[in-house]
Amino acid sequence: MVTRTAPLRGHRPALEGPAFLARPDLQVLIDLLREDGRRVVGPTVSDGAIVFDEITSMGDLPQGVGDEQSPGRYRLRRRGDERLFGYVVGPTAWKKWTFPSFVPLTRATKDGHKVTFTPEPTDDRPVAFLGARACDLAAIGVQDGVFTGTSFVDPDYLARRAQVFVVAVQCTTAASTCFCTSMGTGPEVSEGHDIVLTELDTGFLVDADSTAGRAILEKLPLRPATAAEQYGAAATVAAVRARIGDPVPASGLPDRLLAQLDHPRWAQVAERCITCGNCTLACPTCFCTTLSQVTDLTGGDAVTSRSWDSCFSPGFAKVAGGSFRSRPRDRYRQWLTHKFATWWDQFGSSGCVGCGRCITWCPVGIDVREELNAIAPAVPLVPETPIVEPVAATPNDFVTARVVASRQETVDTTTLSLTGTDPAFAQGSTGQFAMVALPGFPPLPISISRFLPDGIELTIRGAGPATKAMCALQIGEQLGLRGPLGNNWPLDRAVGRDLVIVTGGIGLAPLRPVLHAIVADRRRFGDVKLFYGARTPADLLYRDELERWGTRHGIDVSLTVDRAGPEWTGRVGIVTHLFDQGAWDGANTIAFVCGPERMMQATSTTLAGRGVPASRIYVTLERHMECGIGLCGHCQMGKYFVCRDGPVFSIGQLGDIFGREGI
Amino acid sequence: MASNAPVTARPRVGVVKFASCDGCQLTLLDLEDELLAVVDHFEIVDFPEATSSRSPGPYDVLFVEGSVSEPAHLERIVELRKQTRHLVTIGACATAGGIQALRNWADHDAFRAAVYTNPEWVHSLARSTPIAEHVTVDAELRGCPIDPGQLVELLTALTTGRRPQLRDEAVCMECKRQGVVCVMVSKGTPCLGQVTQTGCGAICPRFGRGCYGCFGPREQANAAGLTRHLQMAGDRPREEVGRLFAGFTAYSEPFRSMVTELGGTRTGRTGGDPDVAATTGGRR
Repeated sequence: MVTRTAPLRGHRPALEGPAFLARPDLQVLIDLLREDGRRVVGPTVSDGAIVFDEITSMGDLPQGVGDEQSPGRYRLRRRGDERLFGYVVGPTAWKKWTFPSFVPLTRATKDGHKVTFTPEPTDDRPVAFLGARACDLAAIGVQDGVFTGTSFVDPDYLARRAQVFVVAVQCTTAASTCFCTSMGTGPEVSEGHDIVLTELDTGFLVDADSTAGRAILEKLPLRPATAAEQYGAAATVAAVRARIGDPVPASGLPDRLLAQLDHPRWAQVAERCITCGNCTLACPTCFCTTLSQVTDLTGGDAVTSRSWDSCFSPGFAKVAGGSFRSRPRDRYRQWLTHKFATWWDQFGSSGCVGCGRCITWCPVGIDVREELNAIAPAVPLVPETPIVEPVAATPNDFVTARVVASRQETVDTTTLSLTGTDPAFAQGSTGQFAMVALPGFPPLPISISRFLPDGIELTIRGAGPATKAMCALQIGEQLGLRGPLGNNWPLDRAVGRDLVIVTGGIGLAPLRPVLHAIVADRRRFGDVKLFYGARTPADLLYRDELERWGTRHGIDVSLTVDRAGPEWTGRVGIVTHLFDQGAWDGANTIAFVCGPERMMQATSTTLAGRGVPASRIYVTLERHMECGIGLCGHCQMGKYFVCRDGPVFSIGQLGDIFGREGI
Repeated sequence: MASNAPVTARPRVGVVKFASCDGCQLTLLDLEDELLAVVDHFEIVDFPEATSSRSPGPYDVLFVEGSVSEPAHLERIVELRKQTRHLVTIGACATAGGIQALRNWADHDAFRAAVYTNPEWVHSLARSTPIAEHVTVDAELRGCPIDPGQLVELLTALTTGRRPQLRDEAVCMECKRQGVVCVMVSKGTPCLGQVTQTGCGAICPRFGRGCYGCFGPREQANAAGLTRHLQMAGDRPREEVGRLFAGFTAYSEPFRSMVTELGGTRTGRTGGDPDVAATTGGRR
């Protein structure tokens, strides 16, 4: 028996951060909400499911009940504990209260020649949602955008919505159908609520996020949450995130999907799809309606009402003469592309919040995640090339290769095309380098700037005697190679994300194979931006390719130079400033940066400011190297050998040694 | 034939029946709240269930219940059509052939011999068929029995001259609008709601059972898709799935094809073309 905690009103102002509410005291919260004149709507067990309904006491909540969900299947089970929220979303969406399935809109009467249209009253009684999840809150946000976020506002929605008080609940469990993580909506409750609860074994961690929420909290019998309770709550939600994973990588999804309007999968899924419309009506964001007239037999009094409709019904797109979407495949495509692609254009967000209702409540178990991944795949189609075993991998050995072409890129930089290279080089990957040796000169690490079926290209700036000698090599001459060495740019992590590449001068050379890989399979990646700077226009490398990447391959190429002559019409200034301009969001971005360390430091600071996490900012380091295989000791940086453990590192991996003087 | 123009003042309405149980006609009499307004607006000239007065026509509106099941029906429906401005079929028998159309998959003569002592006295056709197979139908009200709300809607539309709002969508839509928990997903109960035209208010799922399709197939009903799912995911035998479709509206496509393909008419037959069975059965 748990005794009710005495209210700690005197202590409340000092109560910082989350507080603890004993489970029996949830009734106090329900009472407070009701005393303020609200109907309280929350989860109940009805017809074998967790259904939202009006509740008056804790006893109405599903205690000790869990759910099992999979495509086309939903079952309740006993959990064996006392928890009140030990399940995830069920068949009901909160839109039932903000956007009911049937709403009378207008009454029209006719009196002789005179007609009168009168709006029907709306139901704007205050209501409190108890138990909304992160995906639910996101869905409410999406419908807010639909009904109140554009030029025309729906007054019925607005009136109902304005009266909603939200007590959110953190998910402490996940269903197999959940994919909020992919849609960026959960499982953590972050906004859109007044109060948020995290259920623990004996009660709840409680926090408020609005004035109204804090006013309620003031009256609750709370005590400060212990560190263990806070840690436990956070760990539970984190475990939910880990369990869900990332089933539908979302970056670039709208473009990927819209590029597949003729995919054969549409017809295949339409064989299975019954076009019953269950997915759309179970969906918490679907907003399509149809009007109906109810008249009396005299026809003098008519009420126009709207009810939920579905783009899956053949009649939905009918006009005189037929339907615009006569085939089931058309209707499935309309739904999927609207949810995941064109919704962005119309409302600035995804139409999907990843709640999984459309998956569970599809009577024939069609899994939208499977369809998306089949139609617009984001997962790597080809596994990332494994790092190949280098050849001549001892301090005393080199294999030879022959120059077949030499192209002067700039006044001091030359690209050598080599053939006769060991087959290992053809299997190297982006960002790797070779130790290059000429008789009489120290071997030098040179980035591989292109992988060819039977060779490689090296782009070399003639800065010192050895590099000048390399640049001067003539066709037919040989040189020595060890490699391919080092690790690579993590292109597999870039799949499905936006990619920002920032570099200057010769730094483009190690990134050039990255651009080749993107161009070869462009739709695997989201937005790709290349920011490239050089001292003067004449110092820009690969000018033909820069042009093609921009015009033919959908890569946003921005160039800048330090000094320009009159012929240059582009930007002048350092590359760091260049890429800091313009609006772009780093939340789903991965960045590859190559340049002097100061430039990479400044760049990573700016990237972090855009929301790119340190774990997704990659730099390639340059250090003195003589062997390239971790045996000469020159290239140590903290615990790393740059040649062996790098040269590509994430900022997160480098930690505070990055940019530190004297390391 | 039919126009959207309002029916003129106090239109003449008849209610007639073919092979049926009379339940759909009774729905008209059961319109207790609206009945007085209905007789105010419509002149009921022929309605054996309600009045002994008779009229051979003409009718502004004729409600036809029942299927064409006897040789005499063939001429009678053609004659009635000639007398009628708006011919409205009501119920599963008139719109789909009814439960009696299950004989279309069976041996007609064997049935008659098994049931009646003197089968030669029974003048029935080998097949029970919907009215629309014989004459043009202007509107149909589905269901076994029809839904009173749809009947009122049709009558109202006739008086105001608008198109009746009889939605052609899945029963699921009505389930979801009413917040009914899907019986197929939550209980594994087979349900024809996905392929069945709405209009009933989802009455069966509301009471926890699966829809048995009495309103008949909706437009573009993917009965084959549902069948595959029930057989594969539900691991149900063919005939059990066929039996789901072998109800009041079995003779409507695409339910008809499912019954033919899977069996399930409880006659001992599994599958086979109903028309071939019905027409060759008696002549062997």
